[in-house]
Order: sequence, then structure tokens, then C-alpha cells
Amino acid sequence: MIKQNLKYILPVILPLIVLLLPASSFGIEGLTLVEQRVIAIFVMAALCWVLEPIPIYATSVLIIVFELLLISDNGLWFATNSPVEQQGHLLKQSTIMATFASPIIMLFLGGFFLAMAATKYRLDVNLARVLLRPFGNSPKYVMLGIMMITAIFSMFMSNTATTAMMLSILTPVLALFAKEDIGKVAFALSVPVAANIGGIATPIGTPPNAVALKYLVDEYSVSFAEWMAIGVPFVTVMLLIAWLLLNYLFPADTKTIKLDIEGHFLKTPKAYLVYMTFTLTILLWLLGGVHGMSSYVVAMLPVAIFSMFKIITKDDLKNISWDVLWLVSGGIALGVALDKSGLASNAIDSIPFDSFHPLLLIVGASLLCLLMANFMSGILKIRRCLKWG
Amino acid sequence: MKKIQLKYVLPIVIPLIILLLPITSFGIVDMTLVEQRIIAIFVMAALCWVLEPIPIYATSVLIIVLELLLISDKGLWFSKTPSPELGHLISYKTIMGTFSSPIIMLFLGGFFLAMAATKYRLDINLARVLLKPFGKNPKYVMLGLMIITAIFSMFMSNTATTAMMLSILTPVLALFASKDLGKVAFALSVPVAANIGGIGTPIGTPPNAVALKYLVDENNISFGEWMVFGVPFVIVMLFIAWLLLSTLFPSSIKEINLNIKGRFLKTPKAIIVYVTFIVTILLWLMGGLHGMNSYVVALIPVAVFSMFKIITKEDLKKISWDVLWLVSGGIALGVGLDQSGLAANAIEAIPFAEFHPLLLIVGASLLCLLMANFMSHTATANLLLPLVAALGASMHSLLPYGGEVVLILAVTFAASLGMSLPISTPPNALAYASGHVETKQMARVGGGIGIIGLLITYAMLYMLKQISFIG
Amino acid sequence: MEKINIICVDDEREVLESVVHDLEYFSDMFNIEECESAFECLELLEELDAQQEYVAVLISDHVMPEKSGVELLTEVALDNRFLGTKKLLLTGLATQADTIRAINNAKLDNFLEKVWDPQELLQTVKELLTEYIVEKGIDYEVYIEKLDAPTLYRLIKC
Repeated sequence: MIKQNLKYILPVILPLIVLLLPASSFGIEGLTLVEQRVIAIFVMAALCWVLEPIPIYATSVLIIVFELLLISDNGLWFATNSPVEQQGHLLKQSTIMATFASPIIMLFLGGFFLAMAATKYRLDVNLARVLLRPFGNSPKYVMLGIMMITAIFSMFMSNTATTAMMLSILTPVLALFAKEDIGKVAFALSVPVAANIGGIATPIGTPPNAVALKYLVDEYSVSFAEWMAIGVPFVTVMLLIAWLLLNYLFPADTKTIKLDIEGHFLKTPKAYLVYMTFTLTILLWLLGGVHGMSSYVVAMLPVAIFSMFKIITKDDLKNISWDVLWLVSGGIALGVALDKSGLASNAIDSIPFDSFHPLLLIVGASLLCLLMANFMSGILKIRRCLKWG
Repeated sequence: MKKIQLKYVLPIVIPLIILLLPITSFGIVDMTLVEQRIIAIFVMAALCWVLEPIPIYATSVLIIVLELLLISDKGLWFSKTPSPELGHLISYKTIMGTFSSPIIMLFLGGFFLAMAATKYRLDINLARVLLKPFGKNPKYVMLGLMIITAIFSMFMSNTATTAMMLSILTPVLALFASKDLGKVAFALSVPVAANIGGIGTPIGTPPNAVALKYLVDENNISFGEWMVFGVPFVIVMLFIAWLLLSTLFPSSIKEINLNIKGRFLKTPKAIIVYVTFIVTILLWLMGGLHGMNSYVVALIPVAVFSMFKIITKEDLKKISWDVLWLVSGGIALGVGLDQSGLAANAIEAIPFAEFHPLLLIVGASLLCLLMANFMSHTATANLLLPLVAALGASMHSLLPYGGEVVLILAVTFAASLGMSLPISTPPNALAYASGHVETKQMARVGGGIGIIGLLITYAMLYMLKQISFIG
Repeated sequence: MEKINIICVDDEREVLESVVHDLEYFSDMFNIEECESAFECLELLEELDAQQEYVAVLISDHVMPEKSGVELLTEVALDNRFLGTKKLLLTGLATQADTIRAINNAKLDNFLEKVWDPQELLQTVKELLTEYIVEKGIDYEVYIEKLDAPTLYRLIKC
């Protein structure tokens, strides 16, 4: 009973304790009130995301609201009237609110529009049909084909949506396998594995990538194409390894396999517009340097084109995963607060990270991240790791 | 055929011509390239909103994207070529930020309140309880309906309120004889009350929120202050509308019986909804005491409802994102006009100062009323308010009459008063769809209320100036 | 975890028990309610609604005294509060006219004939339940072991 309640109690009590402790007890020199509050919000967010007492996107909203209440210039009366030297630097209300529409979010929105239009005009299923053909009928190669297609799609669509689509193609085939044939396991696993791997290849493949972009600025700035230059080879290698592993662990007894996907490419003017916009957007993303537009601005093009031509209607707008966008916003808001309040640089100074070996740090942080990722929603873990890096 | 083509051709050709004209042909001294492009975007927006070749929210998206492409620091390569005439490029983050500007957050909070109220049936249950004291006489039942509709539409969208009230009314309307004019009165009372009620609070209808964007610094109006003049205005207008409807369309039925089923939910979640609703409204009204402005307060219900799973991620999808985007486009237009310096520049070049300020107030609000009758209220406000705000700020002759605020408020109120046609507002369209109202009847009532409303607006603004509430 | 109900209505005790028995599979995650008449069912619906619980599937017999199954299902179909509730008619004695009314007015989601195949009933309810959960936006991951995978794949879009 207590254990069950702990997940509700801890996220309330611990941040409160952090808030009420004297500023000197943190061991960070010149810690301001605002910085202390940022720590409390951070602790609350971490606990809420790990223990999940409330939905994960609600935690993001909570972060933004607490930042507005406690560390913004329009916050609660007692939060804004301390002497300046103790209080530290308050954030502007509009800065915090703008995280709901930060460039990263717009990048995702563009990705959602592309994915929605592709699904609505059946580009995804039709592509899958055409692309699967060259892989023949041998289960081994069909699986490779499925994995590659899943990976390619999940670079631009959400991993969940891709998995659902590919599994619905696979279901009738899996039913044909003999009961004892463990090849079924291989097929069933190949899709989610490929979707997760594929998401790594582009900045919009999966939310953690987008969160990373937020921290890769100035001299570390990575463009869409640069990301893909690293991401795609990585995905290719990983896919091959995963394929070999699955084949080795779960060899199929069935000799031939036939995937039946019905349909043909739509040839209406709107469908052509979708194909063209899709191609154009991806090209513009890849050619970042030539036209001067950043990938964030490019992401807005499909949004404008699809809403203008009623390819995405206002009812389709409602199918966007707004909760995912808000989830990412919360992470960005947390980053903004850490950064703008000066806490990030302050705290790192006072912890002797320098005495660690850098390789140890990289390996340690990534192992921690992997461990957390296995238990938490994919997207959350990356924030904390990035901030320590 | 040609006419249909025109609505597609004009919004493309005219802005293009503006883009290609030599910069000197505008007659504005020291005009920059960025300013010229904003004029083109503005003209395109105006044409798209008036002719509606594309959905109105898509126009908003288009504005934002064109601003990103043409006047932002991350735009197309040729748009950034340095030259002495280029002018000041706007940061792309600022433009994207209009999607979540404080005004949008205010509306989001309103949507959350409304969604939770509907989901936990607070609206229908309140309607049931509040209608009881009005008895069974058709005349007073109608008054009751109008008051309740107006109250709800202060916090919910006018369309949602109308839909809900009309669904309560439909079984009753079926009981009227087919020639009974009373039916018309009832069917019209709901959209009229919803349109009027929206004026009562900043979140009642999008034009109010757009107006808030321009009421800043010394002209700042808080949520509570808005209601101080908004609510009395709504009451007076409701009363006039009620008199108008019951004289024009008297009912021959003696007794009317509204039957609403249900009871107040008493689950813990429902109680959280009630409490949050009340707390949020109180916090909005007492802006001065707790230091939070209305934008920050608006996000409190958002946090509370998502925390307790009162609004789930599936419910998030029911939010009218298109309305939020529509408002964003208006704000982006304003940001473009303002930050490029065009607004200030252009106003100086046109000799508005020679006009009489009263003429200007009346002219602008009449134009707004006219436009609002034929197109979306929000789009009207999006187009007119940035112009009017710039004009108001630069016209010193307005000061004796209350200054910029008077001009902005007159235009904002006018935007909500356009309700003479089925296409004027979604509530009107819903009432028209009931089949009990003819366009002619709607035009008589809506037109009358529009003109009377405008006159009362002037009177109210005059009084507010006299007691130094504004200006 | 949300409270999700499956309601079974039949005036014959033995039939009711056998339906509930066939749905045993769902009983550890969902609430299976039994009603012996249409009126009992309507009362139960009021109660469940006052607690804001979900009514996912309503399985009803047709021939019952006082109020028939089709009448009951029609009433539920017109009630805004139970928008989306899946309706299954389980009967051996429906005339063609009844069946037509059931489809046109009660917006039936499924029709099974008495005597039914337990496996078929189970599968049907499984599919209806999955549809309801996805359509209502309830977190399906919690219930995934009891749901129908192909239906889930078909319906999930993001």
C-alpha cells in the first residue's frame, strides 16, 4: 500500500523539501532563489517521469506551469518580490510559453503533416507494396525487406504508427505459420525492432532526436542532412545486425511466404500534390545549405501546402499527437530554465566532473540512458543525459 | 465561371504585383524591402480571408510560412541578400512563437475549461438548474435561455454553446404550430445571445483576444477590467434583443416545458472540475492580488486537468486547433507590421490627422461591422485591428476621446456584432439549419442588433471616458 | 486503470450465467455486469454513468417481457451519454422485422444467434472491446493482453 502511494507522495514531498532548504545547503556558490526553484522543478519532473503518477505529457504541462508561477516575471506575488541579489534572474513569460511553439516543435509538426498526408493518401501502404516485391518469397529475405521498409518509414513517421501499419500487413501471413514454427517470433519482433532503429536516422524520426537538436547549437549545430549522413549508415548496420540476430535465434521452417498487399497508387491531383510535397520537403531538408532555409522553416512548408489544398482538413488536425508535441515542449522548457537561470553553468562548475575521464563519462552516461530507456517512455531519458553532457 | 476563377487568381496576382513594383511607387519615404513584402503578405491575407479560396485557418498558416520565407533571418537565400534597402529581418523564432503567444495560451485555457465542463456535463446541468426559475411562460423561458446562453458563451465557444442550447430546444420547437412565429424567436434567440455573450470576457470570442494583443502597456486591460464593462454591455444588449425578438415574433403558445434529464455528477473528478472552474475564474477576476496575469492563470486549468486525467490525450485532439491557428495568423500579421516598422511608417505617410477622430471611430467600426457580416469575425479582427492599433497610436487628435483604446474597443465590439446572415457566424448557420428561420428574418434581427449595438458601444465608451476608466 | 464494464442482459437466469461464464476471460480486468431485464439494465446504466464509468459492450437478448432487447438497444443508441458503446444482440427468436429494426434503429454492432459458439462470442466481444478502447482514447497498453491484436493494428494511427 505504502509502496503504491509512494509514487504520488515522493514527487510532491521531495521538490517541496528542495524548495524549503536554505540556499546555502546545496553547495553551489551564489545559488539564487530562481535557481533553487529550477532544481525543485527539475526534481519534480524527474520523479514524475520515472514514477509516472500522472500521464507523461501532463508532467510537461506541469513543468511549464510551475515555471510560469515560480520563475517568470508574471508569477505568483511572493515568487517575484524578493530582493534582486537573492532572487536572481526571472524569465520572461513569453519565453516560457514560446516553448510550446519552439522551432523543434515546428519541425515535428512538419513531420506529422507529412506522415498524416502519406497515410491519408495511402502512400505508405503503396510504397510498402512496391518496395517489398524485389525481396521474393523466401522468409529470410522477406523479413529483411520488411525491416528495411519499416526502418525507412519510421524515419519520417512515428514509430508506433509504422509498427501498427506493418503488423497489420503481417498478421494474415503470421496466421499461416505452423504453430511450433518460431519463425513467427522473428517476424513479429522484426517490425518493432526495425521501427525503433529506423527512428534514429533523421532528426524527426523520434522525439529524443529532436530534443538533442535543441542542445546542438552554435559550433555544434547539426543540420538535417548532416544528421542523416551519420544516422543512415548507423541504421543500415544496426538493421543488418538485428536481421542476422533474429534469423539466428528464430529460424523459420516455412519455405515460402507470400505477402498480399492490395491497392494501387492514387492518381488524383491531390495525391500527386502529396507525392510532390513529400519529395520536395525531404530534398529541401537534405539541401539545407543551398537555399538558406533552416530545417525548421522547411518543416512549415508541408504544413502550409497541405492546409491550403485541404489535404489536411481541420478535422485531420485533430489527429495530430498533440500530447507528443507537448511532451517535447516540457523538455525544452526545462532546458530553457536550466540555461537561462544560469543554473546549468553554475552547477557544472561546482561538481568536479573534470576529474573524471571523458570516456568514462560518455560510457557511463550512455549506459545510464539505455537502462532508463528500457523502463521509461523512449523520449524522456535523453533530456537528463544531454544536460549533463 | 470567370467569377469563380477570380477568387483564385486575385490573391496570387495582386500580391505578386506589389512584390514586383519598384519600391518608390508606394509613396512612403524610406520604405524597405521587408516592408514591401509585408504589404504583399497583408494584401494576400486580406484577399484570402475575404474571398476564401482556401480555408481561413490555412490563410493563417500561409501568412506565417510566407513571413518565415520572405522576412525572417532563416528565409530563402535571395530574400536575405544584404542591401541598403533590405530593412530589418525578423527572427524566425519570433514568428514561430506566434503559435504559442500568450493570447493563444489564454484561449487554450478557455478551451480546457469548456471541454471539461462539457465532459462532466456541468454545462447541461447548470442549464437545467438555471432555467427552473423562469417558469413556463414562453416569453420568460426565452429570456432564461438567452441569459444562460450568454453566460456560457462568455467561457465556451459561441458555436459549442449554440449547439448545446439548440439541442435542448429542438424537442420544444417541434411542439409549436407550423405557422407560429414564436418558433422563429426561439431559434434566433440562441445564436443572438451566444454572439452577444462572447463580448463579455476576453476569452469569449477570438476577436477579443486579438484585441488584447494590441492593448498593451498603458492601455493594458486585465480580465477583470474587461468584464467590468463587457458584462453590463452584454446585459443591456441581451435585454434589447429579447424585446426585439418578442415583439417581432410573438408566440401564440401559452406554456412551454423544457425537459432536461440528468443530475450533477458527484465523482471526485467532477468535483475537481467544479473547483478548478471556480478558482480559475476567481483568479482571472482578481488579477491584481496574486500577481499572475490572465495568461498565466489560463494555464492552471490546463495543468490540473491533464494531471488528473480529466482531459486525456484523446480529448486534446478535440481542441479546435484550427481556431488557435487562425488567431496565430492574425498575431503574426501584427508582429510583421509592427516589428518591421511598416505600421509606424505607413501611418505617417497617410494624412489621417486631417480626418476628424470621431469620423474615424465611426468609419472604422462601421467597416468592421460590415465585414464581420460577410466573413469570419476572427479574420475581420485579424485584418483590421493591427491597422487600427497603429493608426490609434499615431493620432494625437484621438486623445480627447480616449485615445487608442476607444478605437480598438469600438472595432472589436463591432466585429462581434456582425450577425445578420447565416454565413456571418457559425452559431447563425446552426440556427438557420434548424429550418425554422428564414434569412430575411435573421437579417432583420441581426441587422437591427448590429446597429443598436454599435450605438450602445459608442455610448458606453463615452461614459467610460467620462469616468476616466479608459484613456 | 479505468473502470470498464461489459453488460449482459437476459431474462433467463441460466442463459445469463452461461454468457457470463463464456466471458470469464475478461473478468480480471473488466467489470462484467448481469441484468435480468431491460429496466434493470437502464437503472444500472444510470448508476454507472453517475460514477463516470465506461460501458464498453452491451450484450442483450431480444425476447424479454415488458421491454425487448431491440427497444433497449435503441434507447441506448440515442442516448448521448453512451455514444460509442458497442451493442451486440444475442438471440434465436428475432423475426426479420426485428432484425431490420435492430440494425436501422439500434445501430447494432454485432448479431449472434442462439445457440452460440463460446469461442465466437469471446472473439466478437474481444474485437468490440478493442474498438471501443481505441475509439475512446483509453490507454490500450494496460489492457493489451486481453485485446484483439489485428483490430488494434488496424485502428492505431499515431
